[in-house]
Amino acid sequence: MLRSMTKKSTTLLNLTAVVVLVTLLYLLEINKNSFGMAVSILQKSVILSIVAVSMNLLNGFTGLFSLGQAGFMAIGAYITAIFSISSDTIDSVYYTSGLAPWLMSFKLGLDVFPSAIRILFGLLLGGVVAGLFAALIGIPVLRLKSDYLAIATLGFSEIIRAILSSPQMDQITNGSYGLKNIPGFAIESDFLPVGTGSLLVPFAIAALCITFMVMLIKSSYGRAFMAIREDGVAAEAMGINLLKHKELSFIVSSFMTAIAGGLLAMFMRSIDARTFQISMTYDILLIVVIGGLGSITGSILSAFLVTASKEWWLRFFDQPLITGGITIPLFRTGFRMVVFSVLLMVVVLFFRRGLMGNREFSWSALLSWPKRMPKAKKGANKRG
Amino acid sequence: MDNSASTVLALRDVTMQFGGVVAVDNLSLEVRRGEIVALIGPNGAGKTTVFNVVTGVYAPTNGQVSFGNQVIAKNSPQGKMQKLYAGQNKGVYKGSVQPTPDQITKKGIARTFQNIRLFKNMTVFENVLIAKHMNMKAGFFAAVFRLNAKEEKNMRAESLALLDMLGLADLKDEIANNLPYGKQRRLEIARALATKPELLLLDEPAAGMNPQETEALTDFIHQIKNDFNLTILMIEHHMNLVMDISDRIYVIDFGELIATGTPEEVQNNPAVIAAYLGVDE
Repeated sequence: MLRSMTKKSTTLLNLTAVVVLVTLLYLLEINKNSFGMAVSILQKSVILSIVAVSMNLLNGFTGLFSLGQAGFMAIGAYITAIFSISSDTIDSVYYTSGLAPWLMSFKLGLDVFPSAIRILFGLLLGGVVAGLFAALIGIPVLRLKSDYLAIATLGFSEIIRAILSSPQMDQITNGSYGLKNIPGFAIESDFLPVGTGSLLVPFAIAALCITFMVMLIKSSYGRAFMAIREDGVAAEAMGINLLKHKELSFIVSSFMTAIAGGLLAMFMRSIDARTFQISMTYDILLIVVIGGLGSITGSILSAFLVTASKEWWLRFFDQPLITGGITIPLFRTGFRMVVFSVLLMVVVLFFRRGLMGNREFSWSALLSWPKRMPKAKKGANKRG
Repeated sequence: MDNSASTVLALRDVTMQFGGVVAVDNLSLEVRRGEIVALIGPNGAGKTTVFNVVTGVYAPTNGQVSFGNQVIAKNSPQGKMQKLYAGQNKGVYKGSVQPTPDQITKKGIARTFQNIRLFKNMTVFENVLIAKHMNMKAGFFAAVFRLNAKEEKNMRAESLALLDMLGLADLKDEIANNLPYGKQRRLEIARALATKPELLLLDEPAAGMNPQETEALTDFIHQIKNDFNLTILMIEHHMNLVMDISDRIYVIDFGELIATGTPEEVQNNPAVIAAYLGVDE
């Protein structure tokens, strides 16, 4: 079965999947009012899938156990928010102390560009700033091994959060009040139906980010990263400069994480420093582990499954359930998370290396699925 | 040709001290072009430490290592070690040269490890291909966006050719961890050769091998030495292999050089016999 799929038919299947996906997303987004839940779950999932893949690049492919994701997301979110909030409403956002004059004049200067360009600029600037931070803290921190690295990056993430919400930053980040009036993804145009872009925009950005990381992993640098994961001492003896390659991986991962943070700000429409607590990093770690360390498609699949089951499919556990006049106990607010945790344990017990292990999705594996153990799940058709 | 021109590796008064423990004590040795030199000694004599000093894993506490005409490592006791230092020739070597292992590999010294250290979950082919990364000319973005397709193709072709030469071509898609032990040893040597070294350091290449495998290894080492124009320094415990293959032998015990010479000379050296068998006091 493995060899029976020709390259041509794989390309054909991939193309069909992309066309079907784009059509579906388009239909969903222009009917946003009737499918509000599905749209917002898909938005959140695709944003988290970027973070999950970039965390996988570090943890799963380079073997660096970093827990700084929330911090880098916060950097991206705040910078994107500052540059995407329209200058007309900025005063109502910074109603206590106002925006710093230098930043305001910079923002007004950018107003000559259409809002899409400003948002893109914010996303990229967020990525670059996060990348710079990563490069700087990487020099001391990446010399640490496993658990120590995790703790150091966790600390960094908390420091970022503390700085963002500190009163000294009032004129830039609005301190503990957070930022609101952040525009969403939908493209406002007279020629397009209302809601166009609310799904296609984040999906397109995610596709770009993830494609870049996949190409990186498949390049010579990606092989070097994996060599470091397998055995750092041997990798160094093969002429691989450990610090340089760890830094590269850390910078790319942080850049992408910040982009996702920016998208998250646009998804949530309002952010404050509490959004980026450690629990956010844990949520992403959970997605990565469930998907499989070292599997890109696993991370993507898992981002969708985890988000959907946490926020949607298990919702009914939170509602009181009455059958035949008897109120079934346990069904009340919060029970959803209990069920979710049990499901997690089941997954961890039966798929110890995550849903996908370190394999990647392939059509031939999916098509031969009925014959084998249910190792690949359907709905994995997100990039081959 | 005078002696110094043909010297590939030279250690001068190298001392490696960990805390108060002197692992290598004032060791000087020399490996000349085209030689196979063996470094032997009882367990814990400091042989692997010598390798780690040469390959940049440790910076020597004192002394100097040169490769060809280049000083690749040099040090004298620094900081706390100035007080602790128990060796000789303190302060003779001024200045400090402390390269990292990857820099040493780029200069042309490759090594294998006592406990095999392959990239276990990667294929045989990928294991060898990784060694080509260090000489890649393309930058990060060029490599990611495949602007170096030709270079990548060459890297792959070279790696395949190497596997072919070493009789591993039919295993190229196997996961390294699934190979039988002897093949893993062979792959580790193949991987080291892929860095195109001038000097190859083999750390107990025959460890865990039976007599037949050891014999095959002897032929293999001869083969690669001729095919790749190598100079070889190896640590080994199998005396048959050592006596068979080496041009010269250095014997160390407790970090100190106790004998050196051709296999015959060393075999009959009383100090060596005493170190290995012990003496009645």
